[in-house]
Amino acid sequence: MPSNPYETLGVKSNASQEEIKNAYRKQAKRLHPDLNPGNKQAEAKFKEINGAYESVGTEEARAKYDRGESDAQAQAQAHAQQQEYARSRQGPYYSQTQSAGGQSRYQQPFEGMDEDIFSSLFGRGGGAWSGGGPQRAQDENYTMTIDFKDSILGVEKEISLPTGKRLRVKIPPGIESGKKLRFAAQSADGKGNLYVEIQVTPSETFTRVGDHLEIEIPISISEAILGAEIKVPTLDGSVMLKIPSSVSSGQKLRVAGKGVRDKGDQLVKIKIVSPPAKENAIDDELKASVEAWSRRHPFNPRETRGAT
Amino acid sequence: MSNSPQFFTYVEICNCTGLPKETLYKFIEREWICPDETQSDQKRLDDQDLARIHLILDLQRVFGANDEAIPVILHLLDQIYHLRSKIKKITES
Repeated sequence: MPSNPYETLGVKSNASQEEIKNAYRKQAKRLHPDLNPGNKQAEAKFKEINGAYESVGTEEARAKYDRGESDAQAQAQAHAQQQEYARSRQGPYYSQTQSAGGQSRYQQPFEGMDEDIFSSLFGRGGGAWSGGGPQRAQDENYTMTIDFKDSILGVEKEISLPTGKRLRVKIPPGIESGKKLRFAAQSADGKGNLYVEIQVTPSETFTRVGDHLEIEIPISISEAILGAEIKVPTLDGSVMLKIPSSVSSGQKLRVAGKGVRDKGDQLVKIKIVSPPAKENAIDDELKASVEAWSRRHPFNPRETRGAT
Repeated sequence: MSNSPQFFTYVEICNCTGLPKETLYKFIEREWICPDETQSDQKRLDDQDLARIHLILDLQRVFGANDEAIPVILHLLDQIYHLRSKIKKITES
């Protein structure tokens, strides 16, 4: 550290107090750390000129310095002045406290603001800038759309917030549309809560009933009569399902463990479909055999309901 | 700003900066300094407020800014820092 404050400030040792002040201000304006964010050299130099100015900036300090100039005591004194400045100027410079981004109370008023600088400056409170002080911790709400499958089996996703922040969202299995996940103290200012509302895209195949999933599966009359083993889709691949003989439309067969993860089952709703009329699938052969069978085995499924 | 800012009382800030209490109150009244109202105890000023006070003092003493210029400078600076962090986020993502 240079020990001669006059040299540091770039003035002669017989300069007037006014000249010293002007020289100091000129340099300080150029080197101020808030005008040179991240420039360590400027910061060190700024501290140096401040220390120097402490030494000779006032008549009194200067007289003290000049009296002892020739000996080591003066140097020590100048050094002490610089140390004193460093001590009194504790903590980071303002620009250093603002670099983290999104967290500063003083930046908060600008969040989401798209107006031009002047309307923000003079637009409020009829003229004078009203300060725009920090507001109370504000909650933030976001919406996230997920697949039906993810809503049933659970998923972990990373989302980018408009603030640029990335957030890992763990979606529990069985989440329903409209449900909000809360992230405490995750708002842009770090104080409010962040809520992510989940929207589930409905499935064309599955319907959710509580923790169970329902799917309608068409089967033929012969499969209904004879029983069958058919392939049924589930959310994680297909499974083989045994259709018992004599199954009826609307009957639900259970595929265990294929509903909401660890909670529900998949219910397969049977829909018996007749052969298509168009292609003459119901031909005389079929009609004759069913007729013959029916005559011998009268069966009225409506009996129990009092209908005939 | 660190993740867990250190908070100070008004008295601590005055001791630290050599600022008379009345002047600090004036800064707060003019909304140059905005204490964190969400802090439940008396410690409502953090390191960014401390740095901001030093900046205001520098603006007054070094830059010769008057009381009318200071809020404008602070506002523009805050806007610059906000834009800076926005740009940083955009370039990082």
